[in-house]
Amino acid sequence: MRLGNVGGMNTSALSIRSLAKQFGPKVAVNDVSLEVPAGSFFGLVGPNGAGKTTMLSMATGLLRPDAGSALVHGIDVWAQPQQAKALMGVLADGVRQFDRLTGRQLVTYSGLLRGMDKDEVATRTEDLLRVMDLGEDGDKLVVDYSAGMTKKISLATAMIHSPQLLVLDEPFEAVDPVSAANIRDILGEYVKFGGTVIVSSHVMDLVQRMCSHVAVIAGGVLRASGTVDEVRDGMSLEERFVDLVGGRGESGGLSWLRTSSN
Amino acid sequence: MVAHILKLKLTLLRNGFRRSVWQLVGVIVGSLYALGMVALLIVATWFTADLQWLGYISVLVSALVVLGWALIPPLLTGVDLTLEPQRFVHFGINQKVLGRALILAGFVSIPAVITLLGMIGFSVLWRLEGPILLLGLLANLATALLAVLACQYLTIQATALRSKRRFREASFAVLFLLLVSIGPIFGALTSAATTIEEWISPVAQVLSYTPFGTLGAVAPAAVEGNWALALLHLGYGLAVLGLLYWLLVRATAKAVVTAPAPQRAASAKGLGPFKWMPATPAGAVAARAMVYWFKDPRYALSVIMVPMLPVIFYFAGSQAESYAMMYLLGPLFGILLGFSISADVSYDNTAFSLHVLTGVSGRDDRLGRLLACVTISIVPIILGAILPGLLNGQNWRVPGDLGLSLGAFLVALAVSSVVSARYTYAVPLPGDNPLKTPPGNGMRVALTQLATFGGMGVLLLPVGVPYLIGLLGQSTMLGWVTLAAGLLYGGILLVVGIRLGGRWMDNRLPELMQAVMLNR
Repeated sequence: MRLGNVGGMNTSALSIRSLAKQFGPKVAVNDVSLEVPAGSFFGLVGPNGAGKTTMLSMATGLLRPDAGSALVHGIDVWAQPQQAKALMGVLADGVRQFDRLTGRQLVTYSGLLRGMDKDEVATRTEDLLRVMDLGEDGDKLVVDYSAGMTKKISLATAMIHSPQLLVLDEPFEAVDPVSAANIRDILGEYVKFGGTVIVSSHVMDLVQRMCSHVAVIAGGVLRASGTVDEVRDGMSLEERFVDLVGGRGESGGLSWLRTSSN
Repeated sequence: MVAHILKLKLTLLRNGFRRSVWQLVGVIVGSLYALGMVALLIVATWFTADLQWLGYISVLVSALVVLGWALIPPLLTGVDLTLEPQRFVHFGINQKVLGRALILAGFVSIPAVITLLGMIGFSVLWRLEGPILLLGLLANLATALLAVLACQYLTIQATALRSKRRFREASFAVLFLLLVSIGPIFGALTSAATTIEEWISPVAQVLSYTPFGTLGAVAPAAVEGNWALALLHLGYGLAVLGLLYWLLVRATAKAVVTAPAPQRAASAKGLGPFKWMPATPAGAVAARAMVYWFKDPRYALSVIMVPMLPVIFYFAGSQAESYAMMYLLGPLFGILLGFSISADVSYDNTAFSLHVLTGVSGRDDRLGRLLACVTISIVPIILGAILPGLLNGQNWRVPGDLGLSLGAFLVALAVSSVVSARYTYAVPLPGDNPLKTPPGNGMRVALTQLATFGGMGVLLLPVGVPYLIGLLGQSTMLGWVTLAAGLLYGGILLVVGIRLGGRWMDNRLPELMQAVMLNR
């Protein structure tokens, strides 16, 4: 893949500046600023409802922020959306795909929508289907795919234009361990050649092993960010995360959930 | 256990209403309407002294109620499956008890209650016949039970098939065809007979020996003093009811322990339209839309209309002995097919995110969707416009018809291109039953569509005026004017529509995305 650092080392691949979003009385994202260095493998972690998806939606052009801005390699997502989107590949969480298409058609569609050359799209589609272990299922309708297969085909649609930044919301959910390992390899390779990856995840262990940088978000507020080693500060990431986020139950367990007491 | 499940069903019913006040209002209005119809029917029969007729009506109504329950919910509208037996797999409830409970719970629904009340009310047919009134009441109650049980049984059977996508999509198409052909068939039947009695009598006779109408024939036979026949019908009906109950208990018990069958995946070789459509963003959108026109039943409804309308018009015409309606085919195809893409973005649902994320321009998006619609619609529209004139030997009006049809199509496309970039509404979700209307925004849909059609009508005036004058004066000359106006004016409007719709879309892309996310 042809990748490079537009504008040298000191630019961020993604630069989030004071993003804020409010849904009715609920503040989903509260003035979050975040720099994702180019060439980093960036983990975004937080409990359920922390605002991860909302923040990523605002950074990728799916949701208009109430305030703040997001820059992809210096290009403002909300001022020059088409240029910014051309640099990004996005796997959004909780959206459908055009699932009456076959897997092959869907990936092709994603390439053609970006105005890519037909032959290039055809070659890359076959490559992507192969590395995602979907070679034999390329002619099946996506609606008949399992959850994991759907995740993989969506990932393929996000990668076909060899973007400089991949924004992946929960990419490993429902993906089998073998495919997950394959995807991790692909992403690792991609970062090694200068690409930047942002993944959101609940699985701390995975983030600790895979990512170079991490940000912790909870209640719509950024709690910590930096390299993984900086953030975990000697603890395991999971311990540190629970520390930062809090909310471990102190209300006592379920005393009746003891088979011996019955 | 039975009480628990009945309570669960009641709670579900109540919570369903709590979610949307308008749904409750709709249900109340619908119920009043249904009860009103029953009341009207009763009033109509009140003054019918002719026993023969009362007999026919009794049989027909019973058969209609049972058939309606047996066919429409399981195949068409879908049943409220919150209490489908498979949901109880994990609870380990005694199968026999659960079966009985679920059957009873099936009666805790508005339509079932209305059917029961209606059938009880309907017994007043026999108010002058003394004790036979009681017999009629019993038979009618049994009919209502039979109807609800038949519905439940067929639903369980259909659910097994339903999980296969192919069946789901085919069943709705077949039923749709049946529904639209009922009118013509009925019409042919009535026009063949000179009096109503001539056709109603054999129909009622035959129905009275089917499981659907037999209970309705009990009271009429008794009124005639033919007690043997009455007992025969009653025995037959009760036997059917018993058999159905037994089958239902068995089927419910079985369904509780059967995991849903895995389905065979559908596939399509190669790239389909993506292969031969231009490899541009707009071409890709068009190719994608074309796949959907044929694979997505929500679009298939519009496609089915093309062969259906001429058939319906033909039958209607054969009764009126004037085929003038056929001239409407071209313009109707134009308007309706053009209108069919006005909910395109709503149909995409959140899959629309792909368009947002790839940054496809609003103009390409509009253009692609409309290219697909044109590719599929243009031949039927032209044929619908010129064939009626040619076949009727009215060649002089062909240019005008063609002009109006194409003009209507272009105007409809232009309006749709703008509307679907701005307004979304709750449509059936991808993969859902295409005839199921999501509750809650009926008013909004109606208003938007009314405004859309109104807009089309006003915008069509410059084409419609020369057309009408030409039609009245039988002028071919004005027909050509209409054609030129239709193409030119329609073409200009279309360009404006794409531009305006495209710009709106570019500006409101995230808002459009959030709007489609609401409906899922």
